[in-house]
Amino acid sequence: MLHDMKKPLPHVQPWSAAFWDRTRQGKLLIQHCRSCDRYIFRPRKYCPHCWSDAIDWKTASGFGRIHSFTTAYAMVEPPFAPDLPYTIGFIDLDEGVRMMSRIVETDLARIDFGKRVEVVFEEREDFFLPNFKVVD
Amino acid sequence: MTSIAIIGIGEVPTARMPERTHWDIIYDTCREAILESGLDKNDIQGVVSVTPLGQPIIDAELSYGLLPEELGLDGVRDTVVVNAGGSSTSNALRMAEHWITTGIAEAVLVNHVTVHSTLSPQQMIQAFARAGVDMQWEYPYGTTYNIIMGLTANLYMKEAGCTPEDMASVVTALRSWAEKDPNSYYYGRKPPTIEEVLDSGLLNTPLHRKEGNVLADGGSAMVVVSAERARSMGGPAAYKLGESVRYFSGTTSMRDAAQMRAGMRDTAQEAMHKAGIDRQDVDLWNVYLAYPAMHPTMAESLGIAPPGQGARYFRDGRMSFGGDIPWSTIGDAPGRGHTGSGVSAACYVETARQLMGRAGERQVPDCRYVYQNTSGGSGFNLIASIWGA
Repeated sequence: MLHDMKKPLPHVQPWSAAFWDRTRQGKLLIQHCRSCDRYIFRPRKYCPHCWSDAIDWKTASGFGRIHSFTTAYAMVEPPFAPDLPYTIGFIDLDEGVRMMSRIVETDLARIDFGKRVEVVFEEREDFFLPNFKVVD
Repeated sequence: MTSIAIIGIGEVPTARMPERTHWDIIYDTCREAILESGLDKNDIQGVVSVTPLGQPIIDAELSYGLLPEELGLDGVRDTVVVNAGGSSTSNALRMAEHWITTGIAEAVLVNHVTVHSTLSPQQMIQAFARAGVDMQWEYPYGTTYNIIMGLTANLYMKEAGCTPEDMASVVTALRSWAEKDPNSYYYGRKPPTIEEVLDSGLLNTPLHRKEGNVLADGGSAMVVVSAERARSMGGPAAYKLGESVRYFSGTTSMRDAAQMRAGMRDTAQEAMHKAGIDRQDVDLWNVYLAYPAMHPTMAESLGIAPPGQGARYFRDGRMSFGGDIPWSTIGDAPGRGHTGSGVSAACYVETARQLMGRAGERQVPDCRYVYQNTSGGSGFNLIASIWGA
């Protein structure tokens, strides 16, 4: 059976378009609610904390720490099989929000809980996905 | 809160049998459940089907009302399919409860069917990779269910300080029950040793191949009536005594481990309170979590094992067949074989079977109260219930 080897692209919502636009410039944006002064990730139409629409964008530092991770060796979808082994992690950004991402450009032995990471971007068609590499 | 009872069950062996069609399974399970209940087929007034995940044709056939017509259930007033992933069966029973308590139906058939063996391995991986993950913020990174469970299991192992051997012992425990279950994919097959689990190769850290699931075909059915009617009929029955639920999050990125543990604890306490029982009264913890990795967390959250000791309880054999803590007596999905949302249906059938005293070698002595949980998607919720004989 032939498989579609094209990697999936993010299903963008109108309120997340700015996030993806700025990744093309190497910027990692996160939303900030002016009403309740909280950061928001993933992007929402209204603040999930107070339902305000007074949301603006902040450029994140691009740094964070690994909250958890797993390195895949088998049983992934065909488009991702050439990447094996690869590591997916939960990254706690310095701004206090958590995102799922790939941990890249790092020897597997250096990947561990609490490790300091920095964002790097992976081009995929019209998108630049934020990945992270270990920096300490 | 005793309002409904299960009075008949039907089930087919879980296997990979592409020649056994969806409708083969539906006919056999539904007929067995209705015949066992003592009711006539035309006494069934409602049909609630658990959705067959990743199988759009049978899903559509059930959603648009084919089952009552196909089986000749002439008394049916309505039919519906419910989908909440692995917690679908809890919701199917809730729908049955609603129909029965509001007078829409006096007897409701709840059923599930899944045939995975006609799908390619990649179709199955894709179906599970896209369920319970965010298509914008998670899926593009190459997630799978195994990967989601790996993220959770790694964190648990770090916090609890438990070893790969401890975690592997959960599989050996679950499979020890499956070995004794005629409807299990692994019936009659010796459970793997801890060494065999660890030697089976990594799927993704820390999960080994034998800590993953075999996707198989299966199905089951239950006949549900009011508790009052079940009592008047005088036969063996499983009575719903209490239920509680928590929602956590739709995606794993947003899920908080402490909140999940609190949810596991609180829902059990609330369900037991509604049932009027204490933890010591529970004879069987029929836990459904789909993957072995979450069982130690559940054992700790339920107060069965001290914090950080859940996996070691499994390694000591306490939850195995013959151990002192009856636990997941069909072996959850790793023991039964994974039938999508159908594992939760199989668990409820097992709960009823145990309370009816028909579990054969796996029968828990004097089984009067069973804790039964379900959880949907990648763990978006947890529904806890107490059932009694």
